[in-house]
Amino acid sequence: MANLKVFIGGVEFNNPVFVASGTFGYGNDVSELVDVNQLGAIITKSITLHPREGNPPPRIVETPSGMLNSIGLANIGVDQFIKEMIPYYASLETKVIVNIAGSSMEEYLNVLEKVEKVGEHICGYEINVSCPNVEKGGMEFGVDSLMTRNLTELLRKRTEKLLILKLSPNVTNITDIAKGAKEGGADAISAINTVVGMSIDISSRKSNLATKFGGLSGPAIKPIGIANVHKLSSAIQIPIIGIGGITSAEDVVEYLLAGATAVQIGTANFRDPGIGLKIIAELDAYCDSNGYYDISELTGALVNDS
Amino acid sequence: MKIEQAKIITNKKIARNIWKMEMLASNISKEVQGPGQFINILVDESWDISLRRPMSIAGINQDKITIIYKVLGRGTKRLVTKLRDDILNILGPIGNVFNQDMFNNHHPILIGGGIGMAPILWLHNVMNERRVQHELIIGAKSKSDHFLKHQPSRKIYLTTDDGTLGIKGTVIRVLQQIVNQLYKPMIIACGPIEMLKVIQTFSIDNNVPGQMALESYMACGLGICQGCVVELTHIRQEKHSFGERYSLVCCDGPVYDISRVRF
Repeated sequence: MANLKVFIGGVEFNNPVFVASGTFGYGNDVSELVDVNQLGAIITKSITLHPREGNPPPRIVETPSGMLNSIGLANIGVDQFIKEMIPYYASLETKVIVNIAGSSMEEYLNVLEKVEKVGEHICGYEINVSCPNVEKGGMEFGVDSLMTRNLTELLRKRTEKLLILKLSPNVTNITDIAKGAKEGGADAISAINTVVGMSIDISSRKSNLATKFGGLSGPAIKPIGIANVHKLSSAIQIPIIGIGGITSAEDVVEYLLAGATAVQIGTANFRDPGIGLKIIAELDAYCDSNGYYDISELTGALVNDS
Repeated sequence: MKIEQAKIITNKKIARNIWKMEMLASNISKEVQGPGQFINILVDESWDISLRRPMSIAGINQDKITIIYKVLGRGTKRLVTKLRDDILNILGPIGNVFNQDMFNNHHPILIGGGIGMAPILWLHNVMNERRVQHELIIGAKSKSDHFLKHQPSRKIYLTTDDGTLGIKGTVIRVLQQIVNQLYKPMIIACGPIEMLKVIQTFSIDNNVPGQMALESYMACGLGICQGCVVELTHIRQEKHSFGERYSLVCCDGPVYDISRVRF
Protein backbone atom coordinates (compact mmCIF):
# COMPACT_ATOMS: atom_id res chain seq x y z
CA MET A 1 0.00 0.00 0.00
CA ALA A 2 1.70 3.12 -1.26
CA ASN A 3 0.81 6.54 0.07
CA LEU A 4 -1.52 7.99 -2.56
CA LYS A 5 -2.27 11.22 -0.69
CA VAL A 6 -1.57 14.46 -2.52
CA PHE A 7 -1.63 18.11 -1.42
CA ILE A 8 -2.88 21.02 -3.49
CA GLY A 9 -2.95 24.50 -1.99
CA GLY A 10 -2.80 23.08 1.51
CA VAL A 11 -5.73 20.73 0.95
CA GLU A 12 -5.10 17.03 1.41
CA PHE A 13 -6.70 14.60 -1.04
CA ASN A 14 -6.83 10.85 -0.36
CA ASN A 15 -5.58 10.11 -3.85
CA PRO A 16 -4.78 12.02 -7.05
CA VAL A 17 -7.70 10.64 -9.07
CA PHE A 18 -10.50 13.20 -9.50
CA VAL A 19 -13.46 13.20 -11.90
CA ALA A 20 -13.64 16.02 -14.42
CA SER A 21 -16.36 18.64 -14.62
CA GLY A 22 -19.20 17.67 -16.95
CA THR A 23 -18.37 13.98 -16.94
CA PHE A 24 -19.85 13.03 -13.57
CA GLY A 25 -22.91 15.29 -13.29
CA TYR A 26 -23.15 16.53 -9.73
CA GLY A 27 -22.09 13.12 -8.42
CA ASN A 28 -25.53 12.12 -7.17
CA ASP A 29 -26.70 10.39 -10.38
CA VAL A 30 -23.66 8.14 -10.30
CA SER A 31 -23.70 7.32 -6.60
CA GLU A 32 -26.17 4.43 -7.00
CA LEU A 33 -23.62 2.70 -9.27
CA VAL A 34 -20.31 3.77 -7.75
CA ASP A 35 -18.89 4.43 -4.28
CA VAL A 36 -17.99 8.04 -5.06
CA ASN A 37 -16.35 8.46 -1.64
CA GLN A 38 -13.31 6.55 -2.87
CA LEU A 39 -12.51 9.24 -5.43
CA GLY A 40 -9.86 11.83 -4.67
CA ALA A 41 -12.36 14.55 -5.52
CA ILE A 42 -15.48 15.25 -7.53
CA ILE A 43 -15.46 18.34 -9.73
CA THR A 44 -19.08 19.34 -10.34
CA LYS A 45 -20.62 20.17 -13.66
CA SER A 46 -20.11 23.89 -14.42
CA ILE A 47 -22.46 26.12 -12.44
CA THR A 48 -23.64 29.46 -13.77
CA LEU A 49 -25.63 32.23 -12.10
CA HIS A 50 -28.85 31.30 -13.90
CA PRO A 51 -29.98 27.87 -15.16
CA ARG A 52 -28.85 27.14 -18.69
CA GLU A 53 -30.77 24.87 -21.05
CA GLY A 54 -27.71 24.23 -23.21
CA ASN A 55 -27.20 23.96 -26.96
CA PRO A 56 -29.60 22.45 -29.51
CA PRO A 57 -29.10 18.77 -30.43
CA PRO A 58 -27.22 16.92 -31.76
CA ARG A 59 -24.74 17.70 -28.99
CA ILE A 60 -22.37 14.76 -29.23
CA VAL A 61 -20.71 12.64 -31.84
CA GLU A 62 -18.25 9.78 -31.60
CA THR A 63 -14.82 10.32 -33.14
CA PRO A 64 -11.73 8.09 -33.34
CA SER A 65 -10.62 7.33 -29.74
CA GLY A 66 -12.88 10.01 -28.37
CA MET A 67 -15.89 12.20 -28.89
CA LEU A 68 -16.92 15.74 -29.69
CA ASN A 69 -19.39 17.48 -27.42
CA SER A 70 -21.24 20.74 -27.56
CA ILE A 71 -23.42 20.64 -24.46
CA GLY A 72 -23.28 24.38 -23.91
CA LEU A 73 -22.96 24.44 -20.10
CA ALA A 74 -26.47 23.07 -19.48
CA ASN A 75 -26.86 23.31 -15.70
CA ILE A 76 -29.37 23.93 -12.93
CA GLY A 77 -28.03 27.34 -11.93
CA VAL A 78 -26.42 28.23 -8.63
CA ASP A 79 -29.59 28.70 -6.54
CA GLN A 80 -31.02 25.26 -7.32
CA PHE A 81 -27.52 23.82 -6.99
CA ILE A 82 -27.23 25.18 -3.47
CA LYS A 83 -30.70 23.96 -2.51
CA GLU A 84 -30.37 20.44 -3.91
CA MET A 85 -26.70 19.58 -3.96
CA ILE A 86 -25.07 21.24 -0.96
CA PRO A 87 -26.97 18.99 1.52
CA TYR A 88 -25.90 15.96 -0.55
CA TYR A 89 -22.27 17.07 -0.48
CA ALA A 90 -22.47 17.39 3.30
CA SER A 91 -23.14 13.64 3.38
CA LEU A 92 -20.08 12.78 1.28
CA GLU A 93 -16.64 11.95 2.60
CA THR A 94 -14.84 12.78 -0.63
CA LYS A 95 -13.76 16.32 -1.48
CA VAL A 96 -16.04 18.36 -3.70
CA ILE A 97 -14.78 21.14 -5.97
CA VAL A 98 -17.39 23.39 -7.55
CA ASN A 99 -16.74 24.29 -11.17
CA ILE A 100 -17.92 27.81 -12.02
CA ALA A 101 -18.55 29.28 -15.47
CA GLY A 102 -19.66 32.77 -16.38
CA SER A 103 -19.91 35.33 -19.10
CA SER A 104 -18.65 38.26 -17.02
CA MET A 105 -16.43 38.88 -13.99
CA GLU A 106 -19.57 39.67 -11.98
CA GLU A 107 -21.18 36.36 -12.86
CA TYR A 108 -18.19 34.33 -11.69
CA LEU A 109 -18.04 36.42 -8.55
CA ASN A 110 -21.78 36.14 -7.81
CA VAL A 111 -21.73 32.36 -8.16
CA LEU A 112 -18.64 32.03 -5.99
CA GLU A 113 -20.07 34.29 -3.27
CA LYS A 114 -23.35 32.39 -3.17
CA VAL A 115 -21.61 29.03 -2.80
CA GLU A 116 -19.09 30.49 -0.35
CA LYS A 117 -21.89 31.44 2.07
CA VAL A 118 -23.20 27.88 2.41
CA GLY A 119 -20.32 25.78 1.20
CA GLU A 120 -18.58 24.60 4.33
CA HIS A 121 -18.39 21.13 2.75
CA ILE A 122 -16.98 22.46 -0.50
CA CYS A 123 -13.19 22.33 -0.60
CA GLY A 124 -12.68 24.76 -3.45
CA TYR A 125 -13.51 26.12 -6.86
CA GLU A 126 -12.41 25.29 -10.35
CA ILE A 127 -12.88 28.32 -12.58
CA ASN A 128 -13.83 27.40 -16.13
CA VAL A 129 -12.28 29.99 -18.40
CA SER A 130 -12.05 27.53 -21.25
CA CYS A 131 -15.42 26.23 -22.46
CA PRO A 132 -15.27 26.18 -26.27
CA ASN A 133 -19.01 25.62 -26.74
CA VAL A 134 -20.68 28.85 -25.70
CA GLU A 135 -20.36 32.32 -27.11
CA LYS A 136 -19.68 33.77 -23.72
CA GLY A 137 -18.43 31.06 -21.38
CA GLY A 138 -15.20 32.35 -20.14
CA MET A 139 -13.10 31.71 -23.22
CA GLU A 140 -12.55 35.45 -23.56
CA PHE A 141 -10.87 35.26 -20.16
CA GLY A 142 -9.03 32.04 -20.88
CA VAL A 143 -7.29 33.37 -23.99
CA ASP A 144 -6.07 36.54 -22.30
CA SER A 145 -3.41 36.48 -19.60
CA LEU A 146 -4.33 39.85 -18.09
CA MET A 147 -8.06 39.09 -17.95
CA THR A 148 -7.30 35.72 -16.36
CA ARG A 149 -5.15 37.48 -13.78
CA ASN A 150 -7.83 40.08 -13.03
CA LEU A 151 -10.55 37.47 -12.70
CA THR A 152 -8.39 35.28 -10.45
CA GLU A 153 -7.50 38.27 -8.27
CA LEU A 154 -11.13 39.25 -7.88
CA LEU A 155 -12.14 35.73 -6.82
CA ARG A 156 -9.06 35.27 -4.61
CA LYS A 157 -10.18 38.21 -2.47
CA ARG A 158 -13.52 36.48 -1.75
CA THR A 159 -12.39 33.00 -0.81
CA GLU A 160 -9.70 31.27 1.16
CA LYS A 161 -10.71 27.94 -0.29
CA LEU A 162 -8.81 26.19 -3.02
CA LEU A 163 -8.90 28.25 -6.24
CA ILE A 164 -8.09 26.39 -9.45
CA LEU A 165 -8.16 27.84 -12.97
CA LYS A 166 -9.11 25.41 -15.74
CA LEU A 167 -7.33 26.31 -18.96
CA SER A 168 -7.86 25.71 -22.63
CA PRO A 169 -5.30 24.26 -25.04
CA ASN A 170 -6.86 26.40 -27.80
CA VAL A 171 -4.48 29.31 -27.16
CA THR A 172 -1.19 30.52 -28.55
CA ASN A 173 0.69 30.05 -25.30
CA ILE A 174 -0.94 28.28 -22.35
CA THR A 175 1.89 29.16 -19.97
CA ASP A 176 1.19 32.90 -20.39
CA ILE A 177 -2.39 32.35 -19.28
CA ALA A 178 -1.25 30.16 -16.40
CA LYS A 179 1.20 32.85 -15.24
CA GLY A 180 -1.71 35.30 -15.17
CA ALA A 181 -3.67 32.86 -13.01
CA LYS A 182 -0.72 32.36 -10.67
CA GLU A 183 -0.11 36.08 -10.31
CA GLY A 184 -3.81 36.52 -9.54
CA GLY A 185 -3.44 34.09 -6.67
CA ALA A 186 -4.58 30.73 -8.08
CA ASP A 187 -3.59 27.68 -6.03
CA ALA A 188 -3.46 25.35 -9.02
CA ILE A 189 -4.09 24.94 -12.74
CA SER A 190 -6.30 22.30 -14.36
CA ALA A 191 -5.33 21.49 -17.93
CA ILE A 192 -6.58 20.77 -20.44
CA ASN A 193 -10.18 21.53 -21.34
CA THR A 194 -11.40 20.08 -24.64
CA VAL A 195 -9.75 20.78 -27.98
CA VAL A 196 -11.89 22.51 -30.62
CA GLY A 197 -12.92 20.03 -33.28
CA MET A 198 -15.45 19.31 -36.00
CA SER A 199 -16.89 16.31 -37.77
CA ILE A 200 -19.03 16.22 -40.93
CA ASP A 201 -21.69 13.78 -42.14
CA ILE A 202 -20.67 13.39 -45.77
CA SER A 203 -24.09 12.19 -46.92
CA SER A 204 -25.98 15.22 -45.58
CA ARG A 205 -22.91 17.48 -45.89
CA LYS A 206 -23.79 18.89 -42.48
CA SER A 207 -21.71 19.14 -39.33
CA ASN A 208 -22.51 16.31 -36.92
CA LEU A 209 -23.09 18.93 -34.19
CA ALA A 210 -25.81 21.57 -34.26
CA THR A 211 -23.28 24.20 -33.20
CA LYS A 212 -20.88 23.06 -35.94
CA PHE A 213 -17.81 23.01 -33.67
CA GLY A 214 -17.41 21.07 -30.47
CA GLY A 215 -14.86 20.06 -27.88
CA LEU A 216 -12.78 16.96 -28.54
CA SER A 217 -12.09 14.69 -25.58
CA GLY A 218 -10.98 11.13 -24.89
CA PRO A 219 -7.69 9.28 -25.53
CA ALA A 220 -7.36 11.18 -28.84
CA ILE A 221 -6.23 14.26 -26.90
CA LYS A 222 -4.01 12.58 -24.31
CA PRO A 223 -0.70 13.58 -25.96
CA ILE A 224 -1.94 17.19 -26.12
CA GLY A 225 -2.78 17.07 -22.43
CA ILE A 226 0.58 15.57 -21.51
CA ALA A 227 2.47 18.20 -23.55
CA ASN A 228 0.52 21.08 -22.00
CA VAL A 229 0.94 19.76 -18.47
CA HIS A 230 4.66 19.43 -19.03
CA LYS A 231 4.94 22.97 -20.45
CA LEU A 232 2.96 24.32 -17.50
CA SER A 233 4.86 22.46 -14.82
CA SER A 234 8.14 23.60 -16.30
CA ALA A 235 7.01 27.24 -16.36
CA ILE A 236 5.07 27.82 -13.13
CA GLN A 237 5.53 26.67 -9.58
CA ILE A 238 1.96 25.81 -8.58
CA PRO A 239 0.40 22.33 -8.78
CA ILE A 240 -1.02 21.17 -12.11
CA ILE A 241 -4.05 18.89 -12.34
CA GLY A 242 -3.72 16.93 -15.56
CA ILE A 243 -6.76 16.22 -17.75
CA GLY A 244 -7.17 14.64 -21.14
CA GLY A 245 -7.82 11.07 -22.27
CA ILE A 246 -7.01 9.19 -19.08
CA THR A 247 -8.33 5.63 -19.12
CA SER A 248 -5.81 3.72 -16.98
CA ALA A 249 -3.30 3.95 -14.14
CA GLU A 250 -0.52 4.03 -16.74
CA ASP A 251 -2.08 7.19 -18.18
CA VAL A 252 -2.13 8.72 -14.69
CA VAL A 253 1.55 7.88 -14.20
CA GLU A 254 2.33 9.50 -17.54
CA TYR A 255 0.61 12.72 -16.44
CA LEU A 256 2.40 12.66 -13.09
CA LEU A 257 5.79 12.19 -14.79
CA ALA A 258 4.95 15.14 -17.04
CA GLY A 259 4.53 17.22 -13.89
CA ALA A 260 0.95 16.82 -12.68
CA THR A 261 0.19 16.57 -8.96
CA ALA A 262 -3.25 15.07 -9.56
CA VAL A 263 -5.43 14.15 -12.53
CA GLN A 264 -9.05 14.19 -13.63
CA ILE A 265 -10.86 11.37 -15.44
CA GLY A 266 -13.24 12.73 -18.05
CA THR A 267 -14.74 10.99 -21.06
CA ALA A 268 -13.88 7.52 -19.72
CA ASN A 269 -16.62 8.05 -17.11
CA PHE A 270 -19.19 7.88 -19.90
CA ARG A 271 -18.06 4.36 -20.79
CA ASP A 272 -17.69 3.26 -17.19
CA PRO A 273 -18.58 5.55 -14.26
CA GLY A 274 -16.60 3.18 -12.03
CA ILE A 275 -13.35 3.67 -13.98
CA GLY A 276 -11.96 6.11 -11.39
CA LEU A 277 -12.13 3.49 -8.64
CA LYS A 278 -10.46 0.89 -10.83
CA ILE A 279 -7.67 3.34 -11.69
CA ILE A 280 -7.07 4.13 -7.99
CA ALA A 281 -6.64 0.41 -7.25
CA GLU A 282 -4.37 -0.03 -10.28
CA LEU A 283 -2.32 2.99 -9.28
CA ASP A 284 -1.74 1.54 -5.83
CA ALA A 285 -0.62 -1.75 -7.39
CA TYR A 286 1.62 0.12 -9.84
CA CYS A 287 3.39 1.94 -7.02
CA ASP A 288 3.85 -1.28 -5.06
CA SER A 289 5.27 -3.24 -7.96
CA ASN A 290 7.56 -0.38 -9.04
CA GLY A 291 8.90 0.48 -5.62
CA TYR A 292 7.26 3.86 -5.06
CA TYR A 293 6.25 4.47 -1.45
CA ASP A 294 4.64 7.80 -2.14
CA ILE A 295 2.76 8.78 -5.27
CA SER A 296 4.30 12.23 -5.13
CA GLU A 297 7.67 10.68 -6.04
CA LEU A 298 6.32 10.42 -9.57
CA THR A 299 5.34 14.05 -10.01
CA GLY A 300 7.74 15.73 -12.43
CA ALA A 301 10.05 12.70 -12.43
CA LEU A 302 10.44 12.84 -16.18
CA VAL A 303 13.97 11.97 -17.25
CA ASN A 304 15.43 14.63 -19.54
CA ASP A 305 18.20 13.14 -21.62
CA SER A 306 18.89 16.19 -23.69
CA MET B 1 -29.79 0.79 -12.94
CA LYS B 2 -26.76 -1.50 -12.94
CA ILE B 3 -23.65 -2.34 -14.90
CA GLU B 4 -23.44 -6.03 -15.62
CA GLN B 5 -21.21 -8.45 -17.50
CA ALA B 6 -23.87 -10.12 -19.63
CA LYS B 7 -23.22 -13.51 -21.21
CA ILE B 8 -24.35 -13.95 -24.80
CA ILE B 9 -26.63 -16.93 -25.39
CA THR B 10 -27.49 -16.44 -29.07
CA ASN B 11 -26.61 -13.84 -31.71
CA LYS B 12 -28.10 -14.56 -35.12
CA LYS B 13 -29.30 -12.91 -38.30
CA ILE B 14 -33.08 -12.84 -38.69
CA ALA B 15 -33.50 -10.62 -41.78
CA ARG B 16 -31.37 -8.52 -44.10
CA ASN B 17 -28.92 -6.68 -41.80
CA ILE B 18 -31.11 -7.40 -38.80
CA TRP B 19 -29.79 -9.47 -35.92
CA LYS B 20 -31.27 -10.77 -32.72
CA MET B 21 -29.18 -11.27 -29.60
CA GLU B 22 -30.21 -12.95 -26.38
CA MET B 23 -28.04 -12.50 -23.32
CA LEU B 24 -28.03 -13.60 -19.72
CA ALA B 25 -28.19 -10.57 -17.41
CA SER B 26 -29.79 -11.65 -14.17
CA ASN B 27 -29.34 -8.36 -12.27
CA ILE B 28 -30.48 -5.95 -14.95
CA SER B 29 -33.37 -8.12 -16.12
CA LYS B 30 -34.78 -8.05 -12.56
CA GLU B 31 -35.05 -4.27 -12.71
CA VAL B 32 -36.64 -4.00 -16.15
CA GLN B 33 -40.08 -2.40 -16.00
CA GLY B 34 -41.32 -2.89 -19.55
CA PRO B 35 -41.30 -1.98 -23.24
CA GLY B 36 -39.64 1.35 -23.99
CA GLN B 37 -36.63 0.77 -21.77
CA PHE B 38 -33.18 0.15 -23.21
CA ILE B 39 -29.65 -0.90 -22.36
CA ASN B 40 -26.38 0.85 -23.20
CA ILE B 41 -23.83 -1.62 -24.54
CA LEU B 42 -20.05 -1.35 -24.45
CA VAL B 43 -19.47 -3.14 -27.74
CA ASP B 44 -15.70 -3.01 -27.51
CA GLU B 45 -13.46 -3.04 -24.45
CA SER B 46 -10.83 -1.09 -26.39
CA TRP B 47 -11.28 2.55 -27.42
CA ASP B 48 -11.56 1.50 -31.03
CA ILE B 49 -15.24 2.25 -30.46
CA SER B 50 -15.42 5.07 -27.93
CA LEU B 51 -19.03 5.19 -26.81
CA ARG B 52 -21.60 2.69 -25.65
CA ARG B 53 -24.45 1.88 -28.01
CA PRO B 54 -28.03 2.31 -26.75
CA MET B 55 -30.31 -0.56 -27.80
CA SER B 56 -33.99 -1.03 -27.10
CA ILE B 57 -34.92 -4.10 -25.17
CA ALA B 58 -36.99 -6.34 -27.46
CA GLY B 59 -37.99 -8.85 -24.81
CA ILE B 60 -37.34 -10.29 -21.37
CA ASN B 61 -37.48 -13.98 -20.53
CA GLN B 62 -36.76 -14.48 -16.84
CA ASP B 63 -33.08 -13.52 -16.47
CA LYS B 64 -32.49 -13.13 -20.21
CA ILE B 65 -32.64 -9.93 -22.24
CA THR B 66 -33.25 -9.87 -25.99
CA ILE B 67 -32.27 -7.07 -28.34
CA ILE B 68 -32.92 -6.76 -32.07
CA TYR B 69 -30.48 -4.56 -33.92
CA LYS B 70 -29.73 -3.38 -37.40
CA VAL B 71 -26.17 -3.56 -38.69
CA LEU B 72 -25.51 0.02 -39.68
CA GLY B 73 -22.19 1.36 -38.42
CA ARG B 74 -18.99 0.41 -36.67
CA GLY B 75 -20.65 -0.45 -33.37
CA THR B 76 -23.21 -2.84 -34.75
CA LYS B 77 -20.64 -4.35 -37.13
CA ARG B 78 -18.61 -5.21 -34.05
CA LEU B 79 -21.69 -6.58 -32.30
CA VAL B 80 -22.34 -9.19 -35.01
CA THR B 81 -18.91 -10.70 -34.35
CA LYS B 82 -19.91 -11.62 -30.79
CA LEU B 83 -20.39 -15.32 -30.16
CA ARG B 84 -22.17 -17.52 -27.66
CA ASP B 85 -20.57 -17.24 -24.19
CA ASP B 86 -18.85 -13.94 -25.07
CA ILE B 87 -19.23 -11.32 -22.34
CA LEU B 88 -20.77 -7.94 -23.02
CA ASN B 89 -20.61 -5.02 -20.55
CA ILE B 90 -24.11 -3.55 -20.42
CA LEU B 91 -25.71 -0.71 -18.45
CA GLY B 92 -29.42 -0.71 -17.74
CA PRO B 93 -32.30 -0.77 -17.61
CA ILE B 94 -32.50 2.85 -18.77
CA GLY B 95 -35.44 5.12 -19.41
CA ASN B 96 -39.20 5.12 -19.04
CA VAL B 97 -41.86 2.79 -20.47
CA PHE B 98 -44.88 3.13 -22.72
CA ASN B 99 -47.69 4.32 -20.48
CA GLN B 100 -49.94 1.30 -20.42
CA ASP B 101 -52.75 2.98 -18.44
CA MET B 102 -53.86 4.52 -21.71
CA PHE B 103 -54.48 1.09 -23.17
CA ASN B 104 -57.41 0.50 -20.84
CA ASN B 105 -59.73 2.90 -22.62
CA HIS B 106 -58.07 3.18 -26.02
CA HIS B 107 -57.44 0.83 -28.92
CA PRO B 108 -53.66 0.75 -29.47
CA ILE B 109 -52.13 0.82 -32.92
CA LEU B 110 -48.49 -0.23 -32.62
CA ILE B 111 -46.24 1.09 -35.38
CA GLY B 112 -42.61 0.09 -35.88
CA GLY B 113 -40.40 1.36 -38.65
CA GLY B 114 -37.03 -0.18 -39.45
CA ILE B 115 -35.17 -1.18 -36.30
CA GLY B 116 -37.67 0.88 -34.28
CA MET B 117 -39.67 -2.33 -34.34
CA ALA B 118 -37.68 -3.72 -31.37
CA PRO B 119 -39.64 -2.18 -28.45
CA ILE B 120 -42.85 -2.34 -30.51
CA LEU B 121 -42.55 -6.11 -30.94
CA TRP B 122 -42.01 -6.55 -27.22
CA LEU B 123 -45.10 -4.47 -26.49
CA HIS B 124 -46.99 -6.54 -29.09
CA ASN B 125 -45.98 -9.73 -27.27
CA VAL B 126 -46.91 -8.28 -23.87
CA MET B 127 -50.32 -7.27 -25.21
CA ASN B 128 -50.89 -10.71 -26.69
CA GLU B 129 -50.10 -12.30 -23.33
CA ARG B 130 -52.52 -9.95 -21.61
CA ARG B 131 -55.11 -10.34 -24.39
CA VAL B 132 -55.14 -6.62 -25.15
CA GLN B 133 -56.81 -6.02 -28.54
CA HIS B 134 -54.42 -4.06 -30.77
CA GLU B 135 -53.14 -3.52 -34.31
CA LEU B 136 -49.51 -3.97 -35.34
CA ILE B 137 -47.98 -2.19 -38.35
CA ILE B 138 -44.35 -2.79 -39.27
CA GLY B 139 -42.78 -0.89 -42.13
CA ALA B 140 -39.58 -1.54 -44.06
CA LYS B 141 -38.02 -0.95 -47.44
CA SER B 142 -38.39 -4.43 -48.87
CA LYS B 143 -39.40 -8.05 -48.23
CA SER B 144 -35.90 -9.06 -47.11
CA ASP B 145 -36.06 -6.54 -44.23
CA HIS B 146 -39.04 -8.30 -42.66
CA PHE B 147 -39.13 -11.40 -40.52
CA LEU B 148 -42.80 -11.44 -39.49
CA LYS B 149 -45.76 -12.62 -41.60
CA HIS B 150 -48.26 -10.20 -43.12
CA GLN B 151 -51.51 -11.37 -41.45
CA PRO B 152 -54.28 -8.76 -41.74
CA SER B 153 -56.77 -11.26 -40.25
CA ARG B 154 -54.64 -11.22 -37.06
CA LYS B 155 -54.24 -7.45 -37.23
CA ILE B 156 -50.59 -7.68 -38.27
CA TYR B 157 -49.85 -5.46 -41.24
CA LEU B 158 -46.47 -5.34 -42.96
CA THR B 159 -45.59 -2.64 -45.44
CA THR B 160 -42.77 -2.35 -47.96
CA ASP B 161 -41.69 0.65 -49.98
CA ASP B 162 -41.27 -1.51 -53.08
CA GLY B 163 -44.40 -3.66 -52.63
CA THR B 164 -42.49 -6.95 -52.39
CA LEU B 165 -44.36 -7.93 -49.21
CA GLY B 166 -47.62 -6.92 -47.57
CA ILE B 167 -48.97 -3.51 -48.42
CA LYS B 168 -47.01 -1.28 -50.79
CA GLY B 169 -46.24 2.10 -49.25
CA THR B 170 -45.43 3.34 -45.78
CA VAL B 171 -46.99 2.61 -42.40
CA ILE B 172 -49.07 5.79 -42.75
CA ARG B 173 -51.05 4.20 -45.56
CA VAL B 174 -52.22 1.39 -43.27
CA LEU B 175 -52.78 3.78 -40.41
CA GLN B 176 -55.09 5.90 -42.58
CA GLN B 177 -57.03 2.80 -43.63
CA ILE B 178 -57.62 1.28 -40.22
CA VAL B 179 -57.88 4.27 -37.90
CA ASN B 180 -61.49 5.13 -38.77
CA GLN B 181 -62.65 1.58 -38.10
CA LEU B 182 -61.42 1.69 -34.51
CA TYR B 183 -63.11 3.06 -31.41
CA LYS B 184 -60.86 5.50 -29.55
CA PRO B 185 -57.62 4.63 -31.37
CA MET B 186 -54.21 5.58 -30.01
CA ILE B 187 -50.77 5.34 -31.59
CA ILE B 188 -47.62 3.79 -30.15
CA ALA B 189 -44.68 4.34 -32.47
CA CYS B 190 -40.95 3.86 -32.76
CA GLY B 191 -38.84 4.27 -35.86
CA PRO B 192 -36.88 6.67 -38.00
CA ILE B 193 -37.38 10.40 -37.46
CA GLU B 194 -38.96 10.88 -40.90
CA MET B 195 -41.62 8.30 -40.03
CA LEU B 196 -42.22 9.78 -36.59
CA LYS B 197 -42.66 13.26 -38.07
CA VAL B 198 -45.39 12.03 -40.42
CA ILE B 199 -47.06 10.11 -37.58
CA GLN B 200 -46.97 13.19 -35.39
CA THR B 201 -48.68 15.27 -38.07
CA PHE B 202 -51.29 12.54 -38.55
CA SER B 203 -51.83 12.27 -34.81
CA ILE B 204 -52.40 16.01 -34.40
CA ASP B 205 -54.50 16.46 -37.58
CA ASN B 206 -56.76 13.53 -36.74
CA ASN B 207 -56.84 14.06 -33.01
CA VAL B 208 -55.49 10.58 -32.31
CA PRO B 209 -53.38 10.60 -29.14
CA GLY B 210 -50.28 8.53 -28.66
CA GLN B 211 -46.74 7.97 -27.52
CA MET B 212 -43.47 7.46 -29.29
CA ALA B 213 -40.06 6.18 -28.31
CA LEU B 214 -37.14 8.23 -29.62
CA GLU B 215 -33.58 7.45 -30.54
CA SER B 216 -30.75 9.85 -29.82
CA TYR B 217 -26.99 10.12 -29.94
CA MET B 218 -25.93 9.29 -26.44
CA ALA B 219 -22.74 8.94 -24.46
CA CYS B 220 -23.45 7.82 -20.91
CA GLY B 221 -27.10 6.77 -20.51
CA LEU B 222 -26.90 8.03 -16.92
CA GLY B 223 -27.98 11.65 -17.26
CA ILE B 224 -24.47 12.96 -16.67
CA CYS B 225 -23.26 13.87 -20.16
CA GLN B 226 -26.38 15.89 -21.09
CA GLY B 227 -25.77 14.86 -24.68
CA CYS B 228 -28.97 13.09 -25.75
CA VAL B 229 -31.52 15.89 -25.54
CA VAL B 230 -34.68 16.25 -27.60
CA GLU B 231 -36.56 19.53 -27.91
CA LEU B 232 -40.10 19.62 -26.52
CA THR B 233 -43.03 21.83 -27.40
CA HIS B 234 -45.25 21.50 -24.33
CA ILE B 235 -42.90 22.95 -21.83
CA ARG B 236 -42.44 21.71 -18.32
CA GLN B 237 -39.41 21.06 -16.18
CA GLU B 238 -38.13 17.55 -16.71
CA LYS B 239 -36.51 15.73 -13.86
CA HIS B 240 -33.08 15.29 -15.41
CA SER B 241 -32.97 18.17 -17.86
CA PHE B 242 -31.85 21.67 -17.02
CA GLY B 243 -34.10 24.44 -18.22
CA GLU B 244 -37.40 23.77 -19.87
CA ARG B 245 -36.84 23.40 -23.57
CA TYR B 246 -34.85 20.18 -23.71
CA SER B 247 -35.42 16.75 -22.27
CA LEU B 248 -32.85 14.01 -21.75
CA VAL B 249 -33.87 11.01 -23.85
CA CYS B 250 -31.93 8.66 -21.54
CA CYS B 251 -33.52 9.58 -18.21
CA ASP B 252 -36.70 11.53 -19.02
CA GLY B 253 -37.48 9.51 -22.20
CA PRO B 254 -37.22 7.66 -24.48
CA VAL B 255 -41.04 7.53 -24.49
CA TYR B 256 -42.85 10.84 -25.02
CA ASP B 257 -46.38 11.96 -25.74
CA ILE B 258 -46.48 12.31 -29.54
CA SER B 259 -47.62 15.93 -29.40
CA ARG B 260 -44.77 17.04 -27.11
CA VAL B 261 -41.78 16.43 -29.37
CA ARG B 262 -40.44 19.19 -31.60
CA PHE B 263 -38.54 17.68 -34.53
